[in-house]
Amino acid sequence: MTDHIVRSYDAELEGIRRSLAEMGGMSERMLGDSTVALVRRDTTLAQKVISADQRLDNLQRDVEERAVLTIARRQPLANDLRELISAIRIASDIERVGDLAKNIAKRAVAISGQFSPPHRAVVGLEHMSRLVQAQLKDVLDAYASANEQKALEVWHRDGEIDALYTSLFRELLTYMMEDPRNITFCTHLLFCAKNIERIGDHTTNIAETIHYLVTGESLDLNRPKLDTTDINVEAVTGS
Amino acid sequence: MLSTLELSPQSLDADAPVRIAVKNLDFYYGEHKALKNINLDFRDRHVTALIGPSGCGKSTLLRIFNRIYSLYPEQKATGEVLLDGRNVISNDIDVNELRSRIGMVFQKPTPFPMSIYDNVAFGIRLYEKPPKSELDDRIEGALRRAALWDEVKDKLKASGMGLSGGQQQRLCIARTIAQKPEVILFDEPTSALDPISTGKIEDLLEQLKTDFTIVIVTHNMQQAARISQYTAFMYLGEVIEFAATNTIFMNPSKKQTQDYVTGRFG
Repeated sequence: MTDHIVRSYDAELEGIRRSLAEMGGMSERMLGDSTVALVRRDTTLAQKVISADQRLDNLQRDVEERAVLTIARRQPLANDLRELISAIRIASDIERVGDLAKNIAKRAVAISGQFSPPHRAVVGLEHMSRLVQAQLKDVLDAYASANEQKALEVWHRDGEIDALYTSLFRELLTYMMEDPRNITFCTHLLFCAKNIERIGDHTTNIAETIHYLVTGESLDLNRPKLDTTDINVEAVTGS
Repeated sequence: MLSTLELSPQSLDADAPVRIAVKNLDFYYGEHKALKNINLDFRDRHVTALIGPSGCGKSTLLRIFNRIYSLYPEQKATGEVLLDGRNVISNDIDVNELRSRIGMVFQKPTPFPMSIYDNVAFGIRLYEKPPKSELDDRIEGALRRAALWDEVKDKLKASGMGLSGGQQQRLCIARTIAQKPEVILFDEPTSALDPISTGKIEDLLEQLKTDFTIVIVTHNMQQAARISQYTAFMYLGEVIEFAATNTIFMNPSKKQTQDYVTGRFG
């Protein structure tokens, strides 16, 4: 990209990009750490994730304020305007990712002393988390390199995560029905799975924003939707 | 999904008739070719903005529409500029009649050294001799349309030169619209004005486009984005890109346009 005639303008945009990159890295770490904390019942690691969220919130506010200031100062147009609007949107998606990871960490603390069901109950969750971590990493890379194609791939892959969530949901219900002592633990795991599935949704939001950033057009497609738990809750509980 | 056009704050009617059609227009200052094969359509009752760096030919293009260039023998235009189907650059056009149909407002306000009333009456008297009562009405109407009436109604006999810059510019607009033109050309009308006066002129342009076809040359990108429905980006005597204003400023298709509107040019 050619530089602006006013060089401080480029410096402002660069600063925003840097903060976003830092936010992205933090959110990836928080999701990874919270999952490890959950699987290993590591409350120290969980506490670390919980306290990291504050920094992420601050960064989000910072990106937002700086983007608003740049809009006020420079009256950006075309790709510059889209970049600033995208930065605001992506920062807020990443901030939500952080909140959801923090919630997983809190649940890791909550279930640390609980009766635990067979270990394989968390294996599915760990697998799903790994998939979403890859999604998050890919979409953040796509943003950093303005690679719209890569962003679209992430967007299409979200269906897999939804499908995985559906199967995990059923699996956890089965454990709960087998042994009522599993209920507390599995309920927490269910929420964790839902959190991870939502993080997947935020990666698709970011992918949509990247599409807008690069092409100037909104993504006018229906998002892949393979989560059928809404329909199946009744079928499972009614049986 | 809303298209870029539908999101326009000012409604854009893609079916509006073309008021001025420029076809294969070339223009020469002596040997120097200042405009190269310009093709543009200016739609009726829409604001079209011409943007581009200094020397790109936008003011030159504007000056062709009402034949100001004819004052200078070494300047020559070839091609067609069709106003309602008639080529205004052909020799058999009555230039005076043309200028009553295509009014122009310049960068620096140009009130005549006479009263406010006579400034506005001047344009009318050039082409017709209405009775006093009708003249009074038309002057009041023009001053009202130019959003100046309330500020000058008690001092119509005072000199136009005594008004502020912004008022002088609105006086010039009143003088132009008093002749009931079809097209009004604005050559950077607010570049010498403060933000408040600029706001008043922009507000006025919004009103005027319901009756007139407006072409405006401006160096202020945000102004073009605010007030126009179509924008042409010109560079080195050529039209690089011509599209709906929102497209030019949000998602231009040419890299040169994008670099210019975002301040990266050069």
